[in-house]
Amino acid sequence: MSVQAQSLPKMQDKSESGLLSWLMTVDHKRIGIMYLVTAFLFFLVGGTEALLMRLQLAQPNGKVLTPDQYNQIFTMHGTTMIFLVVMPLAAGFGNYFVPLLIGARDMAFPKLNALSYWTYLFAGIFMYSSFVFGGAPNDGWFSYAPLTEKLYSPTHGMDFWAMGILLLGIATTIGSINFIVTIIQLRAPGMTINRMPMFVWTTFVTSFLAVFSLPSLTTAVVLLLLDRQLGAHFYNVAQGGTALLWQHLFWFFGHPEVYILILPAMGMVSEIIPVFSGKPLFGYMAVAYSAVAIGFLGFTVWAHHMFATGMPATSLLFFSADSFLIGVPTGVKIFAWMGTMWKGKLRFSSAMLFAIGFVALFLIGGLDGVHMAVVPVDWQITDTYYVVAHIHYVLFGGAIFGIFGAIYYWFPKITGHRLQEGIGKWHFWIMFIGMNLVFMPMHFLGIAGMPRRIYTYGDGLGWGIWNFVETIGAFAIAISVLVFLINFFVSMRKPATHESDPWDGYTLEWTTSSPPPAYNFAEIPSVRSRRPVWDQKHPEMADWKVGE
Amino acid sequence: MKFDIKRWVVLGASLLLGGCAPYPTFLDPASPIAGHEASLYRIILIMALVVFVLVEGALILILIRDRGRKGDNTPPKQVYGNTRLEVTWTAIPILLVIALFVMTVQTMHAVAAPAPQKSDLNVQVTGHQWWWEFSYPALGITTANELHIPVGGTVQITLASVDVIHSFWVPQLSGKTDVIPGQTNHMWLKGEKIGVYHGQCAEFCGTNHANMRFKVIVESQADFNAWAASQQKDAPQPQTDAEKQGYKMITTGICSNCHTLNGTDAKGTIGPNLTHLFSRTSFAGSTFDLNQSNLRSWLQDTQAMKPGNDMVVKLKPDEIDALIAYLTQLK
Repeated sequence: MSVQAQSLPKMQDKSESGLLSWLMTVDHKRIGIMYLVTAFLFFLVGGTEALLMRLQLAQPNGKVLTPDQYNQIFTMHGTTMIFLVVMPLAAGFGNYFVPLLIGARDMAFPKLNALSYWTYLFAGIFMYSSFVFGGAPNDGWFSYAPLTEKLYSPTHGMDFWAMGILLLGIATTIGSINFIVTIIQLRAPGMTINRMPMFVWTTFVTSFLAVFSLPSLTTAVVLLLLDRQLGAHFYNVAQGGTALLWQHLFWFFGHPEVYILILPAMGMVSEIIPVFSGKPLFGYMAVAYSAVAIGFLGFTVWAHHMFATGMPATSLLFFSADSFLIGVPTGVKIFAWMGTMWKGKLRFSSAMLFAIGFVALFLIGGLDGVHMAVVPVDWQITDTYYVVAHIHYVLFGGAIFGIFGAIYYWFPKITGHRLQEGIGKWHFWIMFIGMNLVFMPMHFLGIAGMPRRIYTYGDGLGWGIWNFVETIGAFAIAISVLVFLINFFVSMRKPATHESDPWDGYTLEWTTSSPPPAYNFAEIPSVRSRRPVWDQKHPEMADWKVGE
Repeated sequence: MKFDIKRWVVLGASLLLGGCAPYPTFLDPASPIAGHEASLYRIILIMALVVFVLVEGALILILIRDRGRKGDNTPPKQVYGNTRLEVTWTAIPILLVIALFVMTVQTMHAVAAPAPQKSDLNVQVTGHQWWWEFSYPALGITTANELHIPVGGTVQITLASVDVIHSFWVPQLSGKTDVIPGQTNHMWLKGEKIGVYHGQCAEFCGTNHANMRFKVIVESQADFNAWAASQQKDAPQPQTDAEKQGYKMITTGICSNCHTLNGTDAKGTIGPNLTHLFSRTSFAGSTFDLNQSNLRSWLQDTQAMKPGNDMVVKLKPDEIDALIAYLTQLK
């Protein structure tokens, strides 16, 4: 525990407030809050971009946006939601709660933690500044070469994108190494690896995925910048470059990235469901090691994004088989969450509703994802709205629902206020219905032949009606986000209750005050099982006596 | 928009089952390739629906049955896991994905391109931002955006791009094959039903990716032969003064930098071959119907109609009249 002792003296006292104290802070909780608030603001921006796209596509031959505007907006929507929203939201919760969940006083490297946040914030602002410097990135979040070469994308948009991605890669790498070291070094006495809360597990796996996959993206982006700025020819076919090089480098990062986005939310759901079922997580070891399995397999499936590129049949079959395999550990998780609820005493709090929503929607995202591993079917549905449906069931129905669950679950710990349960339920149901209205018809459109990333479509193809339904659903989601914002302000205006354990929780964050003091725990707790707080409350049924 | 439940059911059913939907969907196949892909899709969809109903059904059952009762604060029985159950729900998905994999291999085999025969029709597809060039090397034909093939014939296709990556897709005839600069890809087609099929670029390729469409016209062998014979003719000589002025502009003026007119000095390859322009029904990446008024709008301001396209010209009204006078003769 010597690392903790060293990092203690420099931290602020809780009573310190004011702008400067936030700018200078190295407290993991304050950095966590800054991550969450910043990422939520970017969520509103990315959501507004989605609404603009839905307005443009609401009917055939829409005239709301020009093609250039549409292409910039869909590029920034994807880039924003992936790099500026979901990853930092997970990082925010990770920063705030990993030390609390493992009984530590801070992250291992508090100053690096601050560096990671500020780099992220700067990268986000930097990318968005491209709108006022002659045009935003417009080649999609995937930015396939050679479209991104200067000849085809002459504005500075792609330069902003590439440099922004480099900066975000630095921020994520620093943050991930910090998580890895924190989790390895700073666990409370008795908290073995196999007793870590599941959110700590998934943050751990996610951090490894980021550290090992980001170099590939960094390489891809540096080569692109060399091409664009110094006239190199890595992707320039006319000069002997290779167009597909980008896709291999990008997806070697890009597929692990999908798990970087979803695994933390799986961890959140694995914290919420047991507490509100009154039971321990069913099959803890299977859930933990299926996350590890997903992490490993995630590195071996990148080319399933490239089935139409003319690969030889052997390669197609290898990547197809590997992609199928990922369905197995994913299924294990879904069954484990259901096993946890089975014969529990379920309390349908807003947090629990979002966690259940996650399970229900993620299942759809898993089942439609399997279709894409079937090569001949993928040839039909790849690059269509079917894929858009799939990724949103996984990343909106999955990641965002898990994150909203975590917001309702951990909000009282962060602020000392509970979010209003009544408004929370409105939030959940409007978002759940809106989500399905937008994304379910996208499956039909993909099957009906509608390619993705098109700013317009003709009439007479029968696509108009479903697009119209989707636009209605998009506005329902927007309303649900407004309901959440109302909930936030209403709840914060009520007097704080400072309940330390509002949900009858199991893990160490509930043993300290709400919000926790700067040093988190007056005394470092010691742990004998996976549910230390349950053990305290039920000494006769303690996990270390009967479970595990 | 009126809510008509019957129509929605029909839409849903046609999506799930194929049949005569208004959409260009592979579930309404017109070729053996799309047919195999559709059969496989239906099997997987049914498997997925069964899993969906079972799992979501179980979830709803749990949510109803196991909801907590008010005032009951005793903890439920603490269950930590069940090895037999966990092995079962790991094993079943493994069996399912093995079955899926076997079906994948079978279908890939069924849709693989047959070995080239002398009787095959060879077509070279070239992707341009944002239109398609189709050439038939053996027949000496080059056309754009509308691909003619004879019904029942095997068509071997070679794909190349002059700029960025595109993807060739005619849902009712075949899945996608990317069109990649610096790499030659191959695919094949076989139209089994006479008709006109919607095709579209499926890889984001820049500003007007949405308007890089094309048509595949599957026609009888006799119709195809007649079409080919007509396409092999050179451009007609102009008759009227207006036609002569237009002809001169195309063959020696600015147009010839980019366009080809067979049998003349216009040999540009940036834009579509114009020799038989009015034998086609659409233009500019099959985005607009080809008629005099659309063509006039196009020549007045191509950038307004299709922003970002390569054709940047400033034409006087009398030049436009002359061009239209001649171009409409190119049947």
